[in-house]
Amino acid sequence: MPREVVSTGNQLAAKAAIDAGCKFFGGYPITPSSEIAHEMSRLLPKVGGVFIQMEDEIAGISVALGASMSGVKSMTNTSGPGISLKAEQIGLAFMAETPLVITNVMRGGPSTGLPTRPAQQDILQAQAPTHGDYQSITLCPGSLDECYTETVRAFNLAERFMTPVFVLLDETLGHMVGKAVLPDIEEVEANIVNRRVYEGDPATYEPYNVPQDEPAILNPFFKGYRYHITGLHHGPTGFPTEDAKLSQELIDRLFNKILAHKDEIESYEEFMLDDADIMVIAYGSVSLAAKEAIRQLREEGIKVGLFRPITLWPSPEEKIDELCNKFDKILVAEMNKGQYFKEIQRASGKKANDFETLFKANGRPISPAEFKAKIKEMV
Amino acid sequence: MRKQLRFTGVGGQGVLLAGEILARAYVRAGKYGVQVGTYTSQVRGGPTKVDIILDDEPILYPYAVDGEIDFMLSVADKSYQLFKEGVKEGGIIVYEPNLVYPSDDDKARWKMFPIEVITIAKEKVGNVITQSVVALAIATRMNNLDKELVYETMINTVPPKAVEVNKKAFELGYQEADEVLAKYSS
Repeated sequence: MPREVVSTGNQLAAKAAIDAGCKFFGGYPITPSSEIAHEMSRLLPKVGGVFIQMEDEIAGISVALGASMSGVKSMTNTSGPGISLKAEQIGLAFMAETPLVITNVMRGGPSTGLPTRPAQQDILQAQAPTHGDYQSITLCPGSLDECYTETVRAFNLAERFMTPVFVLLDETLGHMVGKAVLPDIEEVEANIVNRRVYEGDPATYEPYNVPQDEPAILNPFFKGYRYHITGLHHGPTGFPTEDAKLSQELIDRLFNKILAHKDEIESYEEFMLDDADIMVIAYGSVSLAAKEAIRQLREEGIKVGLFRPITLWPSPEEKIDELCNKFDKILVAEMNKGQYFKEIQRASGKKANDFETLFKANGRPISPAEFKAKIKEMV
Repeated sequence: MRKQLRFTGVGGQGVLLAGEILARAYVRAGKYGVQVGTYTSQVRGGPTKVDIILDDEPILYPYAVDGEIDFMLSVADKSYQLFKEGVKEGGIIVYEPNLVYPSDDDKARWKMFPIEVITIAKEKVGNVITQSVVALAIATRMNNLDKELVYETMINTVPPKAVEVNKKAFELGYQEADEVLAKYSS
């Protein structure tokens, strides 16, 4: 039976983490994400899990990584300024291939920005949160329902690809209270992904010696399988190496393990696009305003539809290319100065002036009225 | 039929709860309710608004639309002045007369009802924290919402140990709204 609840997006993200099998949370409170931590502190003890509020953001992700290395599904939570602080450890997670779910309830920046107001200014940060070469997986819910389902998916992807996965909420979705319809718990549990485990002879265990398009197979620590974890380039057993071939293969594999499996990661919504003359591209809570505007404009006979990427990174580039070259009139709307717009241009091969844009970076949501006014100019 | 309500105050007054209860009440009744707050990074004293949308149809965008708001309740002048323009012409505004100072122009544009929300909570109920439920009851009466539904939802939402005091707050708020409506419509 689908479950109907009244909740906030932040509470739903926490509920999803529990249902997905998360047993450890390490973090530090920050507006507008703190309710995820509050809820985890309430729920985790009930399922035999552990919650720790650490002394700062860096310690928060550090303990979460440690828990994950010992085989426990683990999570940390923050907002943009916290990601900045966690950047170094995020890099370690990419490099050592430690699965971790990182929820970021976005607020305005740079620096401490606008703590209590909605923004989508961490889109590029989520693509490249730390130095070096790697591929990020970033999911972006566009409704209360998806605050749940995308967080569940984040845990499954983290385990499948042995990598940190970002879930980007924004203040509006994180704090709004409304009805959400969640999938049957048995369905969620039936689809849970657990990381692979090596069961052969411990003497021949080489966790990083895997095909070039697959993640490392990292057994939980303290179970009799020895290997090394490092942020340095490393060979089959995890010990540091400066071997040119191994170094190249490692970074190639960090890319390939994601890019060769985009079909397992990609997700998007096409809303009323079939007969549309104008396409809006929006994601996160901005898509709610876009849909409201589309509903009203269609009553006036204006045919508008929406393309909404749900997986932001890796981007659904083929779909973006196809749609952007199908529609002449395209409006891109974001609560930032056009961070995803860059990706849309890249993927479609179109130039900036081929699009109309609606960008806002003042901590105020984009309203349906603003969409309607802009779209009417485009008719 | 869509109803758009807005509660405004300053940070720390606890106006979020009333909105959440209304949204929950509508969902309990098989309809749709959404609440979303806007607040500042000041811990206390910053202007705060809580938008509530109630509808028979699904609600996408959660914020009330400025110029279309049916009802506003305000317990701080700072936020009253900031948000009053959102109320539609002829809409209802309930204000705490000890803290909010509407102009004569305002009184001509909107249906203005002074109710001492905070005084009722503090002195008649005996606990200032209950002002949120006093406001909830006033909103219920002023918008002709289903009293039993909201009341039951309130009882199910507030902490168990606070049920009795909030029952009193709800009854007193509802009664006060009734009296004010009778007085101003005569």
